[in-house]
Amino acid sequence: MLTINNLHVSIEEEGTKILNGLDLKVNAGEVHAIMGPNGSGKSTLASVLAGKDGYEIDQGSISFDGDDLMEMDPDERAREGLFLAFQYPVELPGVSMSNFLKQAVNSVREHRNQDPLSAGDFLKMMKEKAAFVHLDPSLKSRAVNEGFSGGEKKRNEIFQLAMLDPKLAILDETDSGLDIDALRIVADGVNQLRSPDRAFVVITHYQRLLDYIVPDFVHVLVDGKIVMSGDKQLALELEEKGYDWIKDEQGQLT
Amino acid sequence: MDTSKETMESRFAETFGADLAVENGNSWISDRRRAMESFQANGFPKRKSESYKYTPVSKRLNDAFPAAQDIETLKTDSAFASLDGIHLSTRNGLLRHGNQISGLPAGLTIASLKKTYDGNPEFLSGILSSALDLERDPFSALAAASASDGVFIHVESGVHIDETIVIHHDEVDSAGFVQPRLLIVAEKGASVNMLEHFGQSSVAPAFENRIAEALVEKGARVDHVLVYERNENATFVNGLHVTQADESHFSTNTITLGGGLVRNNLHFLPDGEECETHLNGLYIARGNMHVDNHTIVDHAKPNCVSNELFKGIVTDKATGVFNGKVLVRQDAQKINAYQTSKSIVLDRNASIYAKPELEIYADDVKCSHGATTGELDDEALFYLRARGINYETARMMLLEAFARDVVDLIELEGVREYLYSRLHEILLDN
Repeated sequence: MLTINNLHVSIEEEGTKILNGLDLKVNAGEVHAIMGPNGSGKSTLASVLAGKDGYEIDQGSISFDGDDLMEMDPDERAREGLFLAFQYPVELPGVSMSNFLKQAVNSVREHRNQDPLSAGDFLKMMKEKAAFVHLDPSLKSRAVNEGFSGGEKKRNEIFQLAMLDPKLAILDETDSGLDIDALRIVADGVNQLRSPDRAFVVITHYQRLLDYIVPDFVHVLVDGKIVMSGDKQLALELEEKGYDWIKDEQGQLT
Repeated sequence: MDTSKETMESRFAETFGADLAVENGNSWISDRRRAMESFQANGFPKRKSESYKYTPVSKRLNDAFPAAQDIETLKTDSAFASLDGIHLSTRNGLLRHGNQISGLPAGLTIASLKKTYDGNPEFLSGILSSALDLERDPFSALAAASASDGVFIHVESGVHIDETIVIHHDEVDSAGFVQPRLLIVAEKGASVNMLEHFGQSSVAPAFENRIAEALVEKGARVDHVLVYERNENATFVNGLHVTQADESHFSTNTITLGGGLVRNNLHFLPDGEECETHLNGLYIARGNMHVDNHTIVDHAKPNCVSNELFKGIVTDKATGVFNGKVLVRQDAQKINAYQTSKSIVLDRNASIYAKPELEIYADDVKCSHGATTGELDDEALFYLRARGINYETARMMLLEAFARDVVDLIELEGVREYLYSRLHEILLDN
């Protein structure tokens, strides 16, 4: 579903290199965790996949379901089924949740040649999906993320994921700033959305989230490159030994 | 040439003050004479005049004297005709329905200012011009000097008018200089709400230099909305001067969607304790439009609240100006005064000048002001696009949300709905 080949990315204006030859292959139904220390390029990877401005692709390719992802605008990527759960969800004063979701859901539906949802069906769907992550349905009249608590913002991201029904969901540090109860709710939501047709890339600094969202593969990102891959045991090992261990290993290898 | 500048004021004085020669004990005439003297002494704003620094209104005065045969009556759009309420239409700011409107609720009078004055000079002599500070604005002084008639809206003590008074300024001269006057008096404990609409016109009408005064007596409440939508070459100087007594409430929402050059002079004097004053405004300036909101809240007495929110969107080569001054005098303790101005610039050729001013002489007050100017928020745009919403729709959603914030403060649902759809139309085109 997602194939990243030898990806090199730098920051557009200053030229700082962030990703240095990253390779990753994700198939439908799989859950991949990407772990790494601060500054290793985890969030840059998420931003580049979603199509955020400000990055220069120096080399490499990203294909999504056989299409060149780099050729697509951010909104096209989303309509094609790529979803990014933001690390820092943006507040949109004056834009109501219901208007926002209606626009989003119907944009995706139109792309899939589906009719727009009726007002009744849309409300029903909102109610049902909000329950996934224990969000109060009254949130529909609130402005997007405005005045939401940290936990509500993260749950809201998973709620949107459920509403948009993507093929590939990238969760960018969805666990950051969550207490253990909120973490469990978010993880439960994600687990309910796992399916043979959908893949997840879970980006996280800590192993904790992976106790709840159990990955099929764990990759360690250091200095913009995946330096080690394994199964869920790798995450536990990392938790125990710390990232310095990887760096030392790498040091010995080179 | 300086000589032409010199003659400009005298030419205006001659033309628009022609009927001031004979005073005959008429206090209104003597008020007008004083206003004319003040206007002549101060003159039109010069290039260096601080309060008109960014807004070259005087440049547009040359068109004020067309040949009489070139003037026709221009009919403009009356978009609010189906709104529930008491409707009046004006021609050049004067009542079209004759001198007095009949069938009004008890305690409400809407009439010609001149007829009212002539019928009872003593009643109006103490009121007319009492809210005016002639030195503050030469255009208001000129309008006060020139206007020989206007509209008078009077709500008697304790009377609540639930219906909205809808004033359609829907006939105006096609050229020249029009200076109407409006006086609103809400007596003790009375309440009234009104909407003034300067409808869309296909061509630019006369230069409209209007002066409106409101006297809000003890415990009274006036809610005012103005929607201005004239042609993109029209000129409008809108002087609104409000004096409030104890425990009174005044709100205005000034929405500027049209005009080539618009200057809103909104002057408030909460001259009593426990007053509440709300000034909100929105403008969308495009093409070569120039919109200037100039506000003064002069807190003269203690224990009052004022709240000000102005928002603007500028694009193309348009200019937006905001100058908001809050003055808290020495005896005006326990004042809460808040002021916010926010603008979005969509084009690098568009400009915004924002100047918030606080002048505080009392020591126990809460005042704040904030002015932000920027482009559309990239992070917000990306967030919407990351959910599949295309760029155009995402941009519209953000701009509409920004502008609706002000519209949402209008209590009249029909007006809100109309403005939502107008905002959508205008923003879609730009």
